[in-house]
Amino acid sequence: MILLDKKFPNIFKDKKNIYTKSLDKKTYFEERTKREGKNVYREWDPKRSKLAAGLIKGISQIGFKEGSIVLYLGASHGYTVSFVSDIIGKNGFIFAIDIAPQVTRDLVRLAEERNNIAPILANCNHPEEYKDTVSKSDIVYQDIAQKNQVQIFLKNCDAYLNSGGFGLLALKARSMDVTKKPKDLFKQVMKELEEKISVVDYRVLDPYEKDHALFIVKKK
Amino acid sequence: MVDFEKLRKKSIELAKKTIRESISEDNFIINSINNIDELTKVANVLTKRLRDWYSLYLPEFSKKISDNEAFVKLIVSRKRKELMQEMNIKESMGTELSAKDLKPIMEIALRINSLYKLKENLKEYLEQVMNSYCKNLSTITGALLGAKLLEQAGSLKKLAMMPSSTVQLLGAEKALFRHLKTGARPPKHGTILQHPLVSSAKKTNRGRYSRVLADKITIAVKTDYFKGKFIGDKLKTELEERLK
Ligand SMILES: C[S@@+](CC[C@H](N)C(=O)[O-])C[C@H]1O[C@@H](n2cnc3c(N)ncnc32)[C@H](O)[C@@H]1O
Repeated sequence: MILLDKKFPNIFKDKKNIYTKSLDKKTYFEERTKREGKNVYREWDPKRSKLAAGLIKGISQIGFKEGSIVLYLGASHGYTVSFVSDIIGKNGFIFAIDIAPQVTRDLVRLAEERNNIAPILANCNHPEEYKDTVSKSDIVYQDIAQKNQVQIFLKNCDAYLNSGGFGLLALKARSMDVTKKPKDLFKQVMKELEEKISVVDYRVLDPYEKDHALFIVKKK
Repeated sequence: MVDFEKLRKKSIELAKKTIRESISEDNFIINSINNIDELTKVANVLTKRLRDWYSLYLPEFSKKISDNEAFVKLIVSRKRKELMQEMNIKESMGTELSAKDLKPIMEIALRINSLYKLKENLKEYLEQVMNSYCKNLSTITGALLGAKLLEQAGSLKKLAMMPSSTVQLLGAEKALFRHLKTGARPPKHGTILQHPLVSSAKKTNRGRYSRVLADKITIAVKTDYFKGKFIGDKLKTELEERLK
């Protein structure tokens, strides 16, 4: 097991897969594991996580560090959240938001085990809804597959992202406009983002996710 | 300094409460209809296998009864001789089976039969829930189709907020996507096609019928969601008038 890249803490690879080192040596999503000495490494599936897909596609920056404070929008069952929890470690913290109550049962269970996760049921189209439950963050990560996902992302970066902080936007072309070619749509999104914030890098996520892209932005 | 541990504890408690309180008829309906659909599939697959096996015994009977549920019901309740008599089968290409060889066939048939019964019970339950939760919808579409539409929309609320053109195409998302992307012919109906007024219509009429039906469904669901009066029978009569 070796580091995927010196820039990224706690993310590892072997010949075939990428992994994070499990914070508590446990697994949560029936993921495969590898043991080396005392450490347990959890296999991270790029078909289930757009962040993993972005990493495998060679994204140059992700912003996550040990101790990062993360605002995660669209947490769902918590699959990606659990890996982010490994990466930022016990001094980091994730505010994990989702709108759908019955989908987030697993997320709540995860948060009960992991001290660095707070599960929050809210609509991230209304950032003021959770102003008393979240803090300013080093990273805003969004994966919600909604029509106005770019505006929602910018609103949340505006409200909660520290200056110098990174924003990661996983974008699903189909949920925005099915008539446009994904490529054109990504260009248009790029322009929209750049009016407000600087875009550091982006990757198209196929073959892991069809018609998806991951954008990395940085707040001045 | 932010007290993260305190925020975490508070969030977990609040999230649990919200999850608990969000459980509603929507969840009961969605789980029922999903299980009914699944039971139907499973029972059909098993019956297909059963027909193969039973055909060693009395192949002519399987050919005469094409409905799966009726087939299973009959073979568990009648002896081979009785079936031959009732169906007027003079001679069979099957063979008498020893008790030992017949037993597993009958055991499977009994289990499948109880799957069909289970499905009936679930349908009854679903009808009750639909009638108290969204009687207008259920009156127009029947409990099964109404529940399917609700399931595809996600909840009664979401279904009530949908424009009628979207309701008309629920369940046809793939075809719609293909149309928008490649210019293939647009779909005219989705799940709604299961409604007897549409499915029994001539092909050329189905598009228009679906639109009329979707309009009525939209009115019914909105009335249900906003807890309005019962207008289901009136809507149903209007519908039948227009689609005569
Ligand atoms: C594609 S899934 C996220 C998967 C997850 N990020 C992962 O990798 O494990 C999208 C999620 O966004 C949530 N969502 C959609 N709209 C939302 C909104 N307005 N506010 C909060 N969550 C939303 C959905 O409930 C769904 O769980």
